[in-house]
Amino acid sequence: MTKAWGYIITAFIFFLLIWIWTLQINNVLGYSAFISGGALLVTIAFLSLFNVRKRLSFLLSAPVHQWFLLHAVGGFLALFLFWLHTGVFWPQGLYTQILAVLFYGATLSGILGLIMEKIYPNFLTRIGLECIYERIPQEIADLRNKAECLILECTKETDSDTLAQHYLETLRWFFQRPRFFINHIFGGQNAQHWVRQQCYISERFLNEKERGYLDQLFILADTKRKIDCHYFVQTLLKGWLLVHVPLAVAVLAMVFWHLIVIQVFFL
Amino acid sequence: MSITTPSRPPRWDQPFGSDITDADVDRLLSIPEIGAIERDIFPSHMPLAGILRNDSRIIHYKAGDIVFREGDYGNSVFLILEGSLRVVLAPGLPGGILGRREIQKNNFWQTLKQLWTQHKTPEVRGTQRYTQEAPLRKAVEPGETHVFLQDIPAILDSYRTAVLEKGTLFGELSALGRTPRAATVFAGTGAELLEIRWQGLREIRKYDQGWRRRIDQNYRKDALNSHLLATSIFSHLDVDDLQEVADNTLFETYGSFDWYLSYKKFQAQESIKEVKDEPIIAQQGAYPDGILMVRAGFARVSIERGHGRQTITYLRAGDFYGADELYRKWKGETNISLKVSITAIGYVDILRASTRIVEKHIFSYWDSGRGEIRKVKSVPSKMKRRMEDYFDQPLADGAMQEWVVQERFVNGTQAMLINLDRCVRCDDCVRACAATHEGNPRFIRHGKRFQNWMVANACMHCADPVCMIGCPTGAIHRSMPGGTVIINDDTCIGCETCANSCPYSNIQMVSIRDEVGQSILDPQNHKPILKATKCDLCADQRAGPACVLSCPTDALKRVDFLQWRPGSEI
Repeated sequence: MTKAWGYIITAFIFFLLIWIWTLQINNVLGYSAFISGGALLVTIAFLSLFNVRKRLSFLLSAPVHQWFLLHAVGGFLALFLFWLHTGVFWPQGLYTQILAVLFYGATLSGILGLIMEKIYPNFLTRIGLECIYERIPQEIADLRNKAECLILECTKETDSDTLAQHYLETLRWFFQRPRFFINHIFGGQNAQHWVRQQCYISERFLNEKERGYLDQLFILADTKRKIDCHYFVQTLLKGWLLVHVPLAVAVLAMVFWHLIVIQVFFL
Repeated sequence: MSITTPSRPPRWDQPFGSDITDADVDRLLSIPEIGAIERDIFPSHMPLAGILRNDSRIIHYKAGDIVFREGDYGNSVFLILEGSLRVVLAPGLPGGILGRREIQKNNFWQTLKQLWTQHKTPEVRGTQRYTQEAPLRKAVEPGETHVFLQDIPAILDSYRTAVLEKGTLFGELSALGRTPRAATVFAGTGAELLEIRWQGLREIRKYDQGWRRRIDQNYRKDALNSHLLATSIFSHLDVDDLQEVADNTLFETYGSFDWYLSYKKFQAQESIKEVKDEPIIAQQGAYPDGILMVRAGFARVSIERGHGRQTITYLRAGDFYGADELYRKWKGETNISLKVSITAIGYVDILRASTRIVEKHIFSYWDSGRGEIRKVKSVPSKMKRRMEDYFDQPLADGAMQEWVVQERFVNGTQAMLINLDRCVRCDDCVRACAATHEGNPRFIRHGKRFQNWMVANACMHCADPVCMIGCPTGAIHRSMPGGTVIINDDTCIGCETCANSCPYSNIQMVSIRDEVGQSILDPQNHKPILKATKCDLCADQRAGPACVLSCPTDALKRVDFLQWRPGSEI
């Protein structure tokens, strides 16, 4: 945390210096956009190095969590430098507006990712079980098989298809694939309530032996609910990068084109 | 001769050497070293002949074959039946000659080279490596492979060695004390050896006074003094005083030596029951009768709480307890009793220095105007802090430590601990590990959980590395500089002994591939060649463990639980 504050203060001082410099240049009727643009370019280039560092894990360099802190602080610095560079929140002209959309998109997705990375780990821990993302489909399939075997066994052992009918009408849908996406990502209890409700409403129609099977089914459904939650939250934790990184690459491409345009038409 | 008893030990269902015959047993009983053992003392369910038949095996070595290497872990003792062996005296042979992996950190160029030399297919090995002359050869005994020294005359010229003649017993200290072999022993000529596993040795030592005396004398002569000298409270003693302490120190063993075999069984039990079942070394409230020093293994330090016991901390090799109570008693305080109970976690070797000798050599030293020294040296600083700080801790605060001891993570010195409240499950650690290890991660980001902590399935580089016991080629070994447990891929024969022994399932067997991605097959049986793989703490990487360095949220650490408490680091 101390280091984070160190980075924030350094970024703030850097921004302040650039700002003062641009003011001085403006006062002598110079063209300050070169200074703010140059600072923004350096910052964006530094931000893009984070992805390179992550991929080259064997290179001797600072731990990634330090880079991550710098990346986050650098992202906010870039946002303020962007405003300093453009002078407005929303620039004029199609090209710069496209650039602004991409830049804001990359920034917002980054901030969103940062918030998710702060909130969701604790949320996942509280679920009570741990799942490796790639294994989740297999785990759901295993639970579905167990549930169906249980229903078949119940029908065979009790000579009653009440639970089986109820399973086909309700819980089968639940076991087919991950469910309650929206509710899970906002930490809602709908899935838990739904599973409990389905078990509760069928209970009165079952005898003692069938209730034993229902209890086992409830445990399976509850485990499935927890795995669903893991699936959706981990999808978001991994998925936001699929938005952030392409937008950041697009920004880089646009910045490159921007430099060429300046080189050709301005200098 | 046939050995059948109604209550024979269960381990005899799987004899140590399957091909030992009645004639072999008769021959062994006729050699002087074994013939001198009084056979009548052995109980009917544990006859000497049965021990020889089931707990020992005869192994033949060719000239140059290594019997064991310095630093190996082994749980058996050897008796030379025919021929002679050579023991390499200090400074010993370099790792390369012993078939070990020489660890060298990559230089900058090698580090950079990894950018373009990584294969897309995991576990690719250069097939030429295996066609080159590896220092391995099949032994006479089926299924056995020995590492051998290739140029014995050159070794004899360059290194100091001593001859072990026929009838010499060696390796007993490591076998009984779970300590690394102190020297390398190889066959100078063709040799025939009797290897007795530790259970058999324990029985012989238990019933035969001659062997007991011989082993204890060897231990006192070779190991005890150096161990005492390394213990901080005895470090000020001169040679004569140290010898007196050694002569008055008892050597005790508690618990099961092969605790790792019953580890999973214990996991199913209630933790409270487990603590109650642990062999008691010292009981809370009892009269202190000496300083207890842990020589090998682990001991739980606990206090009574309600109807159970709360774990305060644990002791491991080099730690000691009891000096403070004895000192207070010596100073005239009355009603002094032990404040804690000490029990064996799995297996522990204890040295008990008598009260009289401690009073004579330690307390008088402390009392001669060196009170400050006593404060510093009576218990190790970390221990002292824990005893005082955590004695009255709430149950919730000590729960993590309780779990760590219960799960035997105390054994680890580099456990991979993940703070799940920070971990974003990005698997960057897994990818980084794969990138630095032939495209295949050396750990699984999954494991046992307690609250928001998870100990992942990664090699913990244990203080008691049971995985190293029984490796036929010594491929799995400790690196000399750092003590990291590593595997030499060139001498690993894929026998799975280490993977099966690891109580934490942290060693994986992988089939290796050639440069074009095809599985490399054993030319004899056409089965894929397996190699044991595990975390090596990125021993050859300049930056250190890639998993730790690659974590974007600082959620992953390698920890020693003796020094770690929740909130102390991550």
